[in-house]
Amino acid sequence: MRKTVLICCGTGCRANGSMAVADAIRKAIREAGAAADAVAQVKTTGCNGFCENGPIVKVMPDNITYYKVKPRDAGEIIEKTVMAGETVSRLLYKNEAGERVRSQEENPFYAQQKKIALSAIGQIDPENIEDYIEIGGYEALKKALAMTPDEIISEVEKSNLRGRGGAGFPTGRKWRTAAGYDNYPKYVVCNGDEGDPGAFMDRSVLEGDPHAVIEGLAIAALAIGAEEGFFYIRDEYDLAVKHIKKAIEDAKARGILGDSVMGSGHKLNLSVVRGGGAFICGESTALMASIEGRVGEPRAKYIRSVQRGLWNQPTVLNNVETLANIPYIINNGGEAFAKIGTKGSSGTKVFALVGKVKRTGLVEVPMGTTLRHLIYDIGGGIIGDRPFKAVQTGGPSGGCIPESMLDLEVDFDTLSSYGAMMGSGGMIVMDDRSCMVEVARYYTQFLCEESCGKCTPCREGLRRMLEILTDICEGRGREGDLELLERIGHTLQDSSLCSLGKSAPNPVLTTIKYFRSEYEAHIREKRCPAGVCRSLTSFGIDKEKCIGCDLCAKGCPAGAISGQKKEPHEIDPGICIACGSCREACRFDAVITLGKGAARE
Amino acid sequence: MIEIQINGKTCTCEPGEFLLKVAARNGIYIPTLCHHEGVGEQGCCRLCLAEVVERGRSRIVVSCVFPVEKPIEVYTDSERVRENRAVVLMLLKERAPESEEIARLCEEYQAIDGSRFKALDNEKCIMCGLCARACQSLGTGAIATVGRGTGKKVSTPYDEPSKDCVGCLSCARICPTGAIPYKQDEKERRIWDRSFTLVRCESCGEIIGTREELLLAAERGGREPDTLCASCRQKQMADVLAHTYGLE
Amino acid sequence: MEVTEKNMREIIEGYDRDQRYALAIMQDMQRIFQYVPREGLELLAEYLGCPVSALYSMATFYKALSLVPKGVHIIKCCDGTACHIRGASTLIEGIARELGIGPGETTPDGQFSLETVNCLGSCALAPVMVIDDVYYGKVTLERLKEILSEVKKGGGGK
Repeated sequence: MRKTVLICCGTGCRANGSMAVADAIRKAIREAGAAADAVAQVKTTGCNGFCENGPIVKVMPDNITYYKVKPRDAGEIIEKTVMAGETVSRLLYKNEAGERVRSQEENPFYAQQKKIALSAIGQIDPENIEDYIEIGGYEALKKALAMTPDEIISEVEKSNLRGRGGAGFPTGRKWRTAAGYDNYPKYVVCNGDEGDPGAFMDRSVLEGDPHAVIEGLAIAALAIGAEEGFFYIRDEYDLAVKHIKKAIEDAKARGILGDSVMGSGHKLNLSVVRGGGAFICGESTALMASIEGRVGEPRAKYIRSVQRGLWNQPTVLNNVETLANIPYIINNGGEAFAKIGTKGSSGTKVFALVGKVKRTGLVEVPMGTTLRHLIYDIGGGIIGDRPFKAVQTGGPSGGCIPESMLDLEVDFDTLSSYGAMMGSGGMIVMDDRSCMVEVARYYTQFLCEESCGKCTPCREGLRRMLEILTDICEGRGREGDLELLERIGHTLQDSSLCSLGKSAPNPVLTTIKYFRSEYEAHIREKRCPAGVCRSLTSFGIDKEKCIGCDLCAKGCPAGAISGQKKEPHEIDPGICIACGSCREACRFDAVITLGKGAARE
Repeated sequence: MIEIQINGKTCTCEPGEFLLKVAARNGIYIPTLCHHEGVGEQGCCRLCLAEVVERGRSRIVVSCVFPVEKPIEVYTDSERVRENRAVVLMLLKERAPESEEIARLCEEYQAIDGSRFKALDNEKCIMCGLCARACQSLGTGAIATVGRGTGKKVSTPYDEPSKDCVGCLSCARICPTGAIPYKQDEKERRIWDRSFTLVRCESCGEIIGTREELLLAAERGGREPDTLCASCRQKQMADVLAHTYGLE
Repeated sequence: MEVTEKNMREIIEGYDRDQRYALAIMQDMQRIFQYVPREGLELLAEYLGCPVSALYSMATFYKALSLVPKGVHIIKCCDGTACHIRGASTLIEGIARELGIGPGETTPDGQFSLETVNCLGSCALAPVMVIDDVYYGKVTLERLKEILSEVKKGGGGK
């Protein structure tokens, strides 16, 4: 039987050396001779989502998945698994019970996922259009060509699909509005600017299944009557740009795009615009200004971009993940899609589960899954079994959610009613060693740099919020600061020009709401309970626990730690810069967090 | 025609008309800094806030760019408007501590206390960008916004004297806080680090502009550069007409 | 590639005379010359018939563009949230210490530039840095030293 060796070559696995693994596997096949060559086919695929354990290699149809594969493992994989059908046990994933699991489906990280947007990623070679067509690609476009625009839109409306970029606007309604204007030309745009730090699902979809996004955008174009479309892709995403460009060319060469889409007479030209490196360009009107070759400043959106968008013409802007769901909806019907997830938020959502969680990566689950299920069942809990402190969702526009709210279902509306938001799906898990004041300061600084600077509340308000937060982190907090932060924050929400400014205070306001005592410890006691804010922290070594392994001293950037091997070590408070590397390095919990004054005493 | 209520008063307007304009026509004053007729859409100083109630839901809008499309209730002096404006004005004051206009507005609209903050040094500019827009639409695009975020400013490229500047003063004259400095004596005008020779009216001796400014106007109008000031030109025209029609 | 008028014109004239290509053209210059040269900006303004100030405004707005030359090796250190809470600041300080430059700076010998970026989309490998398009995941201070000396020796890569 013919076998396929699938090697994950997403950005994450590439960083772990998957290209060298792919070369080694190809070489091993050649060396194994004609028999192996006849049996094995090698494919490099997009991101499997479990990047931390990459490079990932799958052997199909045996359905065996190997993790952390090194080039030196190639010979064994070919010899044993491909030729003899045996598993190489040490490369399998070990679950919590310590058992080695054979298939991807048995891995607890994947077992509870439901894949629609990510369904083809990892199975196909994203640079090969035939692979996509073989699994039923472009069937939805063919089907859509036989439908009227109204029928296409009705199907999307029935699905209740809402925009995956964060705002959650109903996709069908957006298309219906755009289709209603008689003002030509019209445009379709795919937003692949993915600015939220901590979210990378769009990168993964563009890299791993570019044709699905093209197919989704082509269907949108048919529905509203557009003949030109753009992919606006984040500048840092080299591989995504490369794959989308190739996919557009291949689709054009095959007559799927171009002057006559699949021979229908409809014209559609797609092109790629690389983002300029500005978070604000996730905002529709700023993104469009950027495509037009101007500074990416948003405008007041009392007149929506769906009416007056690119070059003032009707424009539909959809996010990558949203578009990747469209082929499924057209193929299976809107009702099938609407059955997945919750009533208000149908379908699945891809989350980037990262931070201090054991299993990090991209996961796709039905809407309405609880945070606890995501973090503990799929993510395996907190690294080192430390206490959970907060999960940050929705990036700089979102908020920090405390433990008491872990049983909330994640969808568009639930988190918003608690001051956070699901956003584009970044989910950053934090443990007791993350300082919530510092996290708020981090986001505010991020936004100070990323604000376009056009309107007063956002530009000046963020400047002043950062001033207070920096003071608090450095021990200069005052009584009344929290009230002032809230007052400025509410003004930003009310009177900023665009949604960046309106949502910018969320990280600050939610941390004040749910972690007020941590702020108060900084302000009143000049103490950082998490041991992160350097001006308020020092470290010491618990002599009982220290075994003298020297790991802390090796990693100390200041050379502040001394001690004989196998003897308890010591930190010189005069040299220590309180960076916390020693605490991270120590495997025996021997580094203790102290207040700034404590070390001197 | 649509009927809307502003502070309880019934006002009529065309669909799509901006709220600020409708209010002004009906004698309702809304303060603003960055709005200027004839210089495109702005909406960035956020002073001209108003509260709009529509189907029972209330929100804050910016009246200079808010098009009235439906019958709505508008409040220009509600508690919510006052609170937002009081914070915005404090932010502007800490940004532009040298501006007398901002100080006056802070007093008038009871800005909140901003003494917690370190005000910017020696600054008058509120970064509304009106100057750059004026330069673009009336002049030559010699200045533009530079950078982004809290570090955004208005300047010439590379902070150097710009070849494009004609010294027309559009930027300085339109600035709501008088933040663009320029110097002028009998012979020359200095602005944006460049000097411009002044041209005087051949008849009365009034300053009529910089040489560069007059050349640009002439080029755009496809005529010879002006040598007379506006009133002397008018007078000359009248004389010519009088002579032609023999009314002397 | 050398910054010459001919080379700059070649980049510019590869595109139609349309404002919509302004960003793409400047990005090409950035990629090819490691920065957007002043003469390039002026030539482009002439080509598109727009004020230099409009392009200067863009070049200072978009983080992908730089008006000063960058080093031979560009270190992009991620300070996205996931990297931030997994020690990105310590890593950035480590680089600063090893090379004597802060974010946005270039070493006097023109070898290294350090940039911080907001997310490289490789959060599962935090903290992450990229040197000359090669990704390094889970970088510790110890590994940092090895990586930098490898790159200095001309090795780099994996």
